Amino acid sequence: MADSPVTINSPGGQSAPANPEPSPQEQKQMEQAYAQMKRKMSMEEIGRKIKHKIMVLSGKGGVGKSTVSTGLALSLAQQGHRVGILDIDITGPNVPKMMGLDGRRLHVENKRIHPAEGHMGVKVISMAFLLEDEDTPVVWRGPIKLGAIQQFIGDVEWGELDYLVIDFPPGTSDEPLTVAQSLPDIDGMVIVTTPQQVALLDSRKSITFSESLKVPVLGVVENMSGFTVNGTTAPGTTLNIAAPGGKTLTTTADDDGRFAVTLDIFKQGGGQATADEFGVPFLGALPFDPGFVRGGDDGVHRIVSEPDGPSAQAFANVVEAIQNQLSDGADGSLEIV
Amino acid sequence: MRDALPTLKKLERRANDMVLSYDDDTTFTVTYDDVRHACPCAKCSPMRNEDDTSRTLRRQIEALPAEKPTVRTVGKYALSFEWQHGCSSGIYRFERIHDLANRRDPDRGKPYVHGAW
Ligand SMILES: Nc1ncnc2c1ncn2[C@@H]1O[C@H](COP(=O)(O)OP(=O)(O)OP(=O)(O)O)[C@@H](O)[C@H]1O
Ligand SMILES: [Mg+2]
Repeated sequence: MADSPVTINSPGGQSAPANPEPSPQEQKQMEQAYAQMKRKMSMEEIGRKIKHKIMVLSGKGGVGKSTVSTGLALSLAQQGHRVGILDIDITGPNVPKMMGLDGRRLHVENKRIHPAEGHMGVKVISMAFLLEDEDTPVVWRGPIKLGAIQQFIGDVEWGELDYLVIDFPPGTSDEPLTVAQSLPDIDGMVIVTTPQQVALLDSRKSITFSESLKVPVLGVVENMSGFTVNGTTAPGTTLNIAAPGGKTLTTTADDDGRFAVTLDIFKQGGGQATADEFGVPFLGALPFDPGFVRGGDDGVHRIVSEPDGPSAQAFANVVEAIQNQLSDGADGSLEIV
Repeated sequence: MRDALPTLKKLERRANDMVLSYDDDTTFTVTYDDVRHACPCAKCSPMRNEDDTSRTLRRQIEALPAEKPTVRTVGKYALSFEWQHGCSSGIYRFERIHDLANRRDPDRGKPYVHGAW
């Protein structure tokens, strides 16, 4: 392609004065228009090169969106897929930390942004890569924020991906809208909730929001849903354990003396109830696992430190449920004439 | 919790309405005006909160030229309707469609709250 992509055609085919010099203002407008067009084209190309795009949202903060986003990305990578994760949280990006990429800066080559590679080869782009110093809270005003997101999406060189997981800040409206409008063909959103009532209320709002956004809900994931206690005792021993809510759980140790009981820290089954109420799929529950907190601190994600552990297994189940939703995008049995 | 929803097997688009056939052998006819009036999008929904704005919405819809929509499935749980004129934004859960078929209020009496986030 030529260096200067902007050519001027005189309207109406009349013979205009040869090479009219555009005014600096016109030149600037043309450059802007060109940049915008290029961005739109690269956005479309990104749309083609990435097979599936999944947004992870919640109505309420701190329910584990970033834990779920990174977990889904790693679980998909475990299956051998090419995966990317886009962290759109400008105010508190924590995906790089969870992916072992703390302190990473933006890598720009030929005016394209290149993602960093985290655990299991997952490609990571985070707003944190833009921050000078991670202790500086970035209070970007709305329009700048949105502009930055659009630029981010348009300028990243992802290459070919099977899945792109997009992690959002909590309970917002602008960011998901911008992404949904910028990226073509988003498969849908995964709504993360915890079993508490308030979180559930908020996820109900997210579902309503999704309908107005025209991005389908792939389903609801219930995070921090139960805590499993493992232990050993004499083989065959029956144990009574005082659980939350005044309940007593009974378990019997196996032949090797091992036992496991799952305590419901919060009320159980809330994610399922929300999904039922809204007629959207329930994708599964993820256990409360202190390993996630440790992983957030030391940069070794739970799925990396225990790839066959119960948490990794729970993630694999959620991934399978999502893939069932994606498979052909339709209830195959419906005939529309 | 709701009763189990029968599965929609066939949707036949006619000039002014559609015929819905479910796997429990029930069949319904729903007019396009009813479908459009029940649009769940953030712009149309609040209009149904009050009787007079709801009537305004209805009149606006009835003033639109008659047309057959393009119908698509959304994920495995909903339908979208695309029209040449008027609002095409809403995603209709199968549950909503079933409510319309059975002449039930698809909003279930719940007012729409804007700016849910
Ligand atoms: N299943 C879990 N078991 C134990 N701890 C968890 C689990 N999920 C998340 N956490 C912990 O809860 C905290 C919040 O999680 P996370 O950062 O993923 O939430 P978030 O929704 O992304 O938060 P924000 O709204 O701030 O973006 C973290 O310390 C994380 O390690
Ligand atoms: Mg987060």
